[in-house]
Amino acid sequence: MTVEQVKRYNGSISILIGGAAGMGIATLESILNNAFKKSGFYVYSTKEFMSRVRGGSNTTLIRISDTPIEAPCWSVDISIALDALALKHMQGRCHKDTLIFADEAFGEGNAILVAMKESAKKFGNAKYANTYIAGMLFGVLSIDKSFLLQSIAEHFKGDEVNKEVAEFGYEVGVKLENKSKFKLPKVDIEGLKKFHQMDGTTASGFGFLAGGCNMLTAYPMSPSTGVLNFMAAMSKEFDIAVEQSEDEIASLHMVLGGWYAGARAMTTTSGGGFALMGEALSLSGMTETPAVIYLAQRPGPATGLPTRSEQGDLNLAVYSGHGPFPRVVLAPSCLKECINYGYLAFELADRFGIPAIFLSDQYLADSISMIEDVDFASYEQRRYIVKTQEGYERYADTKDGISPRGIPGFGDGLICSVGDEHDERGQITEDYNMRERMVAKRARKNNELIKEAIPPEVYGEGDIAIVGWGSTKGSISEALQNLNNPDLAQVHFAWVYPLSKEQLSVLGNFSHIIVVENNADGAFANQLRLHDIKIYNQILQSNGFNFFADQLTLMIEESIKEIL
Amino acid sequence: MSNLFDKRDVDVAWCPGCGNFGILKLVKEVLEELEIKKNSLVNVSGIGQAAKTPYYIDTNMFGVLHGRALPVATGIKLSNENLCVVAEGGDGDMYGEGGNHFIHTIRRNIDIVHIVHNNMVYGLTKGQASPTSQKGFVTGVQVDGVINEPFNPLAVALSLKAGFVSRINIGNIKHAKEVLKEAFLYKGYALVDILQPCVTFNKINTYDWFSENSYVLDDSYDASDFEQAVKKSFETIPMPIGVLYKNKNSAVTFEEAKRGRDAKPLHSVTHDMAKIQRLFESY
Ligand SMILES: Cc1ncc(C[n+]2csc(CCOP(=O)(O)OP(=O)(O)O)c2C)c(N)n1
Ligand code: SF4
Repeated sequence: MTVEQVKRYNGSISILIGGAAGMGIATLESILNNAFKKSGFYVYSTKEFMSRVRGGSNTTLIRISDTPIEAPCWSVDISIALDALALKHMQGRCHKDTLIFADEAFGEGNAILVAMKESAKKFGNAKYANTYIAGMLFGVLSIDKSFLLQSIAEHFKGDEVNKEVAEFGYEVGVKLENKSKFKLPKVDIEGLKKFHQMDGTTASGFGFLAGGCNMLTAYPMSPSTGVLNFMAAMSKEFDIAVEQSEDEIASLHMVLGGWYAGARAMTTTSGGGFALMGEALSLSGMTETPAVIYLAQRPGPATGLPTRSEQGDLNLAVYSGHGPFPRVVLAPSCLKECINYGYLAFELADRFGIPAIFLSDQYLADSISMIEDVDFASYEQRRYIVKTQEGYERYADTKDGISPRGIPGFGDGLICSVGDEHDERGQITEDYNMRERMVAKRARKNNELIKEAIPPEVYGEGDIAIVGWGSTKGSISEALQNLNNPDLAQVHFAWVYPLSKEQLSVLGNFSHIIVVENNADGAFANQLRLHDIKIYNQILQSNGFNFFADQLTLMIEESIKEIL
Repeated sequence: MSNLFDKRDVDVAWCPGCGNFGILKLVKEVLEELEIKKNSLVNVSGIGQAAKTPYYIDTNMFGVLHGRALPVATGIKLSNENLCVVAEGGDGDMYGEGGNHFIHTIRRNIDIVHIVHNNMVYGLTKGQASPTSQKGFVTGVQVDGVINEPFNPLAVALSLKAGFVSRINIGNIKHAKEVLKEAFLYKGYALVDILQPCVTFNKINTYDWFSENSYVLDDSYDASDFEQAVKKSFETIPMPIGVLYKNKNSAVTFEEAKRGRDAKPLHSVTHDMAKIQRLFESY
């Protein structure tokens, strides 16, 4: 079977738009996403772009559906090329029924030729081509144009020409309507009103805000910079100290200084920057100073593919930093989890005095989907700081290993935090008994932390588990829907480290375990193996994309064919 | 004589006769005389012999990694501007491993006192060259003597428009105390580079050598004259000691510029959840 033949859910339409950086695809995406949502569809969009500010060939995929949808597909229903390069670039994703639109100036083959550039020029500016296309698309699909016009009005605030262009494009589209064989997904205009549309970056940012983040120091690095930008913008609304540091070494050290004095601080980075933070991560471990790190992965090694996606840094997150010390690694899979785990990262870091690593990736950060209303009042604002008395000991040897954390200037105690091995009051020591006590204290903290491990989500009743973690959830879920095989179930992890026996016990219910990871080393499967989980098969990919649901459908089918 | 900042039950790890003892005493006396409150002071240090100083002072301290005192101190001051923050360590720590932070901390003009024990050698690792080692200085690593140009912290600080730039000699306690006090009272980033003999690994730059090769800037010197300060900072042998430069109209500090005057300490800053809700719903 080929990817075009994958039997897909018929209540959705996928639209791929391609062009060079700087042509305004992002504007088009934003206008269409808003307009489709207003029209009553579930909307999902994701982009794939080159590491350059101008030129090259980028695409944006928009999918509309009558059920929630959170995955890219390789094979598309409609393809719109803004330039000749894009037309070629997208060819492989078109099949015999794909409606291909291209400008009359470069279009060829089976493309439907339209006058994008000429029309835009007629209205006085080449950039109107985007609005023209939006109008045409609504015409072709025969969707009520008033929603598009509303969206355009909101986006261009008062620029009437854009509206005219859209109407003009719409009329062109209506004439081409007979070319479209698509059944429109059902609409639910009222039902969609309680949904919000955003990317993973924004949802993560809201999670960190809910977690009380009031300080962020970071060095820019794709694909993590979005959260840095988000929090900088939010510093206009809330009391948040944001600083661009001189390097990632400084970023995490500033974060530690912030927490030491009572802030809820975080940093944002990607693999290369995180590699520079290894030393400070270890300092967080030894000094028991909390830290929150937003680590948005991109493919490595080294500079790798700067604007693309991979789950290749799990080992880096789990093992970086010298010497053993407790840490937690959380890998949310959808917008709702970005918020919950953003909040949880701050809670865990504060409560246990550990580094909490929030592991995202380019795909999750940049893809836009829908999230239902969230009640922020339910995210309780806690602080785990104690007012100190004279004689306070920063590293008091407690039963659960967690020493009450004081901060300077709050109470009469003095706060001595130390990166050398230390005694309870925070004085350097080389006494081997004390060393053993402190090692044991930190280990006990880890035991407490492990008790909090959140079990994976399980969907379906089958005997064969398709296990994933982090950003692949939507793709796996859609692939399983496509396969519609009652023997399969989805098991998805967001709490990826440290793993606990109780958390993993659910895996004992399955006859076969297949692990899907967007990396080449199968790092999560290896973590499972450390806990004596037997893995029947692995599905790995490391081409810079997230899994496309239709391609993954075939991969899963292939991986189970000897079982059934 | 006892001092409020004496720390009980500590095992001081320095060699007898080391210049660090004088600096420890000096710092404690200045803190006491300026009536700085123990629990509102934080001393941050990296790693090295000099960086052990805060362990012997009874106050809040954060002993961090080699070279990293400055970014940690920055985070602390940003988090709570009411704290008096000191970053203290050796020349290797602050100018070598932490060189990049040195540059950018000055650019930020964060209100901290930056104390660098400059013994022109790596003490803790047993005698390799430091960034400030003089040319020709022979060590077990620099077997033919140092060939690199010595780092000039004062000139670098001035080139970055540091508001308070000074050097003192621990062999001249009375003068040293005046300058260090001034540094504490200055609002903004203040550099105090202290000439400190390492009696074990640096047999060249001794107490006598420092005294013979330096001179005190007298009253006729105008520390507010930036251009003159730049010139002075390039004088090497003899080295001028004292306040080379002090910005008369102290500039806005980093923490003020970031968070405004009298900003609430971040430990008491929580966000308005209803506002988060509203912003979320605008998506
Ligand atoms: C990352 C790292 N690299 C190297 C060291 C080893 N080390 C400790 S102190 C030091 C140099 C100390 O020299 P200086 O800062 O001048 O202080 P002194 O001991 O002379 O007072 C070195 C290289 C370390 N602790 N950490
Ligand atoms: S090695 Fe040098 S700097 Fe270190 S304590 Fe001994 S004399 Fe002082």
